[in-house]
Amino acid sequence: MSTPALDGTAGDPGRTVRVVIVDDHAIFRSGLKTDLDPRIEVVGEAGTVEQAIEVIGRTRPEVVLLDVHLPGGLGGGGREVIAGSAALRGTTKFLALSVSDAAEDVVAVIRAGARGYVTKTISGAEITDAVYRVAGGDAVFSPRLAGFVLDAFGTAPADIADDELDKLSARELEVMRLIARGYSYKEVAKELFISIKTVETHVSAVLRKLQLSSRHELTKWAAERRLL
Amino acid sequence: MTTVPVRPPLVRSSDRVIAGVCAGLADHLGWPVRMVRIGMAVAALAGGAGLVFYAWLWIMVPTADESAKRNARRPASPIAPAVSMPPNRPAAVDPLLRTGAYPPDYPAGPVPPPSGGSVHAAGPGGYTPVAGPAPSAPYDAGTPSQPLGPAAVAGTGAWFRVRNMRYGKEILLGAGLLLVAAILIARLLGAEVPLGTLIPAAAILGGAAIAWMQLDETRRAGLVDKTKADQAGGWARLAAGLALVVAGVLVMVSGSGSWEQTWLALLASVAVLGGVALVLLPWGLKFWRDLEAERAGRVRETERAEIAAHLHDSVLQTLALIQRRAANEHDVVRLARAQERELRGWLFRDPARDAGQLSDRIKAAAAEVEDGLGNAVDVVSVGDTAMTDRHEALVQASREAMLNASRHGGGPVSVYLEISVGGAEVFVKDRGSGFELHTVPEDRMGVRESIIGRMKRHGGTAEINSSPDGTEVRLKLPATAEDNGEGKS
Repeated sequence: MSTPALDGTAGDPGRTVRVVIVDDHAIFRSGLKTDLDPRIEVVGEAGTVEQAIEVIGRTRPEVVLLDVHLPGGLGGGGREVIAGSAALRGTTKFLALSVSDAAEDVVAVIRAGARGYVTKTISGAEITDAVYRVAGGDAVFSPRLAGFVLDAFGTAPADIADDELDKLSARELEVMRLIARGYSYKEVAKELFISIKTVETHVSAVLRKLQLSSRHELTKWAAERRLL
Repeated sequence: MTTVPVRPPLVRSSDRVIAGVCAGLADHLGWPVRMVRIGMAVAALAGGAGLVFYAWLWIMVPTADESAKRNARRPASPIAPAVSMPPNRPAAVDPLLRTGAYPPDYPAGPVPPPSGGSVHAAGPGGYTPVAGPAPSAPYDAGTPSQPLGPAAVAGTGAWFRVRNMRYGKEILLGAGLLLVAAILIARLLGAEVPLGTLIPAAAILGGAAIAWMQLDETRRAGLVDKTKADQAGGWARLAAGLALVVAGVLVMVSGSGSWEQTWLALLASVAVLGGVALVLLPWGLKFWRDLEAERAGRVRETERAEIAAHLHDSVLQTLALIQRRAANEHDVVRLARAQERELRGWLFRDPARDAGQLSDRIKAAAAEVEDGLGNAVDVVSVGDTAMTDRHEALVQASREAMLNASRHGGGPVSVYLEISVGGAEVFVKDRGSGFELHTVPEDRMGVRESIIGRMKRHGGTAEINSSPDGTEVRLKLPATAEDNGEGKS
C-alpha cells in the first residue's frame, strides 16, 4: 500500500539517521535494508522481543522500524518492545510497520508510543521519508491510520465542553480527512492555506490525543473492531 | 433405498389446496396431481385413513422452503475469487487466462470449506506445489467426504445421503406407530396382549430413545457451531426422556405393590443412585474433562485443516502462478495484490457483520477496478451504512471515477469513503497530470453522464478538482433526497 502522505518535505534530509530494524522475517529485513536510502544507516537488526530490547538498548538508534507482530517476550509484540525500551524514550523514536490492517493492532502500537504507522508494502523512498519525519519529531500518518483516527474519534468537531483529549478540533479533523483522502502533508498545507509546519503540529496533536485520550469510546471502538 | 433416486425430494408444494401435500406427493411420485387428490379423498372416506395419512404427511414433510433451508450448507468461503475469477471486462489485460495459465479447475467456483478434517489436514504437507497445469485437481478429487460444491448440489448422491440421515427419527416414529397398530390388530383378533408390561416397556424404550437422540444431536451441533442456541430444547428433551423412563420403570416394578411401597422403593433407589453418583463423580468429572480436551483438540484440528485448505487453494496457487509469470512484472504485481486482498478479507473478516454494506460495495468496486487495470486502488472508509438505491448510484459513480483515475491518472488511486448522519461522501484521488472538465469532449459520457449526471439525478453532487498534481473527484450524497446538498459543499 502506498502512503502518499509522505513526501520529500521531511526535515533535515542531509544527515545520516541511525536505525534498527525489528522484524521476525529475515527476508523482509534484508529487503528493507536494500530499499532504504543510503543516508540511513542500519545499526542493528532483531527478530524477537528480547533481541529487540537488547539491540535497541545497546545501539541507541534514533529510529526503530518496528514490526507490530513479533515472537518472544510475553506475546505483546511491538508494544512490548516499546515498553521495554522506556528508558530511551525521548531519544529513540518508534515507527510501526505492519502488514496488519486490524485497527486493534495499529491503535495498540500507537498508544504504546509509536510515532507513526506505515504498511510494509510502501516503497523504499516513502519509508525513507517516514524515517526522516519520525527522526525529526513528527508523526507519520498513513491514510489508513487517519481513517482509523476519524472512525475512533468520530467525525464531529469538539464542543468546548468536551475534554480536549477526547475529540479532535475542527482543524485537526480537516487535516485527518485530507490525509485519509490521500493528500501528502504538502498538499494538505496547500489545501488549507497553512504551512507544512502547522500541518505537522496538527498531526502531532492528533497523535498525542490518540496516545493519551482515556476516553472509553476509543477502547470500545477498538474492541468492536476486533477482527480476529 | 439402494436405487439412485432420480425423483424430486418429497416436499410440500406451494401449489396447494390445503397444505400442498397432494401436489408435493404427486411431484415426488411422478403421478398426476388430480389422481393423487382423488385418491386421497377416497382414502379419507375409508375410515378416515386418508385423513390420517394426510395429517401425517402434513406434519412430517417440510415445505419446499424449509427443505431448502435444511439442505443449505455453510456458505463456501470466498477462496481466491479475485485470483481465480477472470476480470470480466478488458480481456487484454489478462493474458494468463487465455494462455491457460490458470489451472483448469480454477474458475470452477469457490471450493467449500472442508468438513472431513483429517483429509485436508495433510494439505500443505502432502501437497507438493508443482507448477503443473492442474496442481489441485487430484487433491480435490481425492476428498469425497467434503461437502459437494455448488455445482454438485443438484447431484444425486449428496441429496440421498442427507435425506437418509435426516429422516431417521421419522422412520423410528413410523416403526413405533406400526407396532401400535400391530398390537391393536392383535387385540381385535382376540389375541391376549400383555398391555400391562408392554406400555411401561414402550415408555422406557421411548424415553431412552429420546434421550439418546438428544445426545447425538448435541454432539453434532456442538461440532458444527458452538453457540448452543437450542440447548434449552435439548435439556427439555432429556428431561422428558428421563421422566418417561422413570415412569415406565415405576409402573413396571410397582405393578402389584401398593402406592406406599412404591414410594419407599423410589426413595431407596434415589438414595442408592445418589450414593453411586457421589462415588463416581470424581471419575466422571475426569472423564468429562478428558473428553472436553479431546473435543477442543478436534476443533483446533478442524480449524487448522480449514486454514491449510484455504492456504492451499489461494496462496499456494497464487505463488505457483507468480513463479510461472515471473517475467511479467505487471502480472506478478496484479496477482500479488489480488491475493493480498483476498487473504486480508479472509483473515480479518468479521462474521458478525452482515455483508453488503456501503463500504463493502465500494471496496468491491475498487477491487474490481484494480483487477481490471492492474493499478493499486486503496480504500479507507469511516463509518458505514446499509445499501439503498441511492447508495447504489453512489457506488456506480465511484466505480466510474476509480476507473477514470486508474486509467488516466497512473500511480496508486486513493479512495476515501466517509459516512455520517449527514450523508455519504466519496473522494477518489489520483496523481496523474490532471485534466480540465471543459476540455473533455461532449461525447465522452464517462465523466459527464456516469459521474456528474448520475449523482445529480439522485440528489447528490459531484465535483471534479483537477490540477497538474492530480485529480480528485468528490462525490456527495446527502442522507435525505430532498436536501439537494447544493448549498453545502
